[in-house]
Amino acid sequence: MSLKGKRILIAKPGLDGHDVGAKVIALALRDAGADVIYTGLRKSSEYIAKVAVDEDVDVVGLSMLSGSHMALVSETMRCLEEYDAADIKLFVGGTIPEKDREALLEAGVCGVFTADMPLQEVILAIERALS
Amino acid sequence: MSGLAPRSRRALGRELTRLANASVAESLAHSTQRPEPSMEPVRIGFTGAPGAGKSTLISRLAKHRLSACREKGGVAILGIDPTSPLSGGSILGDRIRMDAIANEPDLYIRSLASRSSHDGLADNVLDLLEAVEGYGFREVLLETVGVGQAEHAIRHSVDTLVMVLQPNAGDAIQAMKSGVLELADIYVINKADLPGAKKSASEIRGIVQRSQAAWRPPVIETSQKHEEGLAKLDSAISEHLAWQAEHCNASETLRRRRHYHVQSLIVRRVSELLEHQPQLLDATSLAEAYDCILLALAEDTQ
Repeated sequence: MSLKGKRILIAKPGLDGHDVGAKVIALALRDAGADVIYTGLRKSSEYIAKVAVDEDVDVVGLSMLSGSHMALVSETMRCLEEYDAADIKLFVGGTIPEKDREALLEAGVCGVFTADMPLQEVILAIERALS
Repeated sequence: MSGLAPRSRRALGRELTRLANASVAESLAHSTQRPEPSMEPVRIGFTGAPGAGKSTLISRLAKHRLSACREKGGVAILGIDPTSPLSGGSILGDRIRMDAIANEPDLYIRSLASRSSHDGLADNVLDLLEAVEGYGFREVLLETVGVGQAEHAIRHSVDTLVMVLQPNAGDAIQAMKSGVLELADIYVINKADLPGAKKSASEIRGIVQRSQAAWRPPVIETSQKHEEGLAKLDSAISEHLAWQAEHCNASETLRRRRHYHVQSLIVRRVSELLEHQPQLLDATSLAEAYDCILLALAEDTQ
């Protein structure tokens, strides 16, 4: 498997200002063959959905360290729907407490990745979600 | 058009992915289903070395261009970044420099990977340009991969070509004397607040204004710190477009575009063949390998 030909948006919603993790994931995805677009810091859900649609990505990765992941995920999903793009998948990464993992997956997120996971595992999970 | 409707954005986004991924055979099949391209929409190309400030300059310029053609359909930006020869992946980073304009409703930004192209452009770029124009955008700003000396392909794809340089490029400027420096319609010395900008600008003027061509390319200094240079660039582009509409032979331009289009399809078809049949290279001599590839190409058309 490879991510060759897949388009992936790495996005930083909300107000936290640290994107080392987002950049590490972006580079790992590039090395796995994907075309990766990064939004930069502090973007609104509306903005992220619009970029995802204009760039026609296969999946959006939301990197969040602020604790607002539940609200930001449902907001981003709502915005994607407005663009007729509910089929664009979402994964989340960052500081996500274990107790929220199930709820996020139930909400329709295709992966929840935290800093303690090996990169190779993250890439494989994304490949599986997109295949 | 006041902003592309959400559903149209989705449709255009998907269409561009399909076209960018199309094989040579798919691209040719697609070309028979659409009308011959017209010259009406305007294409402005931006090229120059990596880090010269192309994306940021385009972002600022797009605001000026938008205010002039909002009623006529808006502006689209296609930004090309390099595909990794190792993994096939890419980081498409042009958009991040365009934050300031990202919420403009009449603007569409799309990032492209160069894929198998080595000429500063992307696979099927002419199809992508036509698709964007088909959605009613009046002007398309096309940004190449950061280029060096010999990537001329963009010249044939656009109406006005802007070359973005930065001060003190020194030896690089010398090296470019007989490369893309002869091809652009407008030269920009970006980051003109840096020391050495005036000297660089006058050196470039010395080179490009020796040209005997009917259009004398202006050399414009721009800087993030001042709006003045940007306004000059904006009007220089409009002047060149008007000049070109009057002096250039449209059928000749379309012919050059077709030349580039056919040539790039053949080059890519050869890459496709070699990827699927690497044994074509196993011939005993170079000439024989060449003939094997020609034969394989001929089989395509049967």
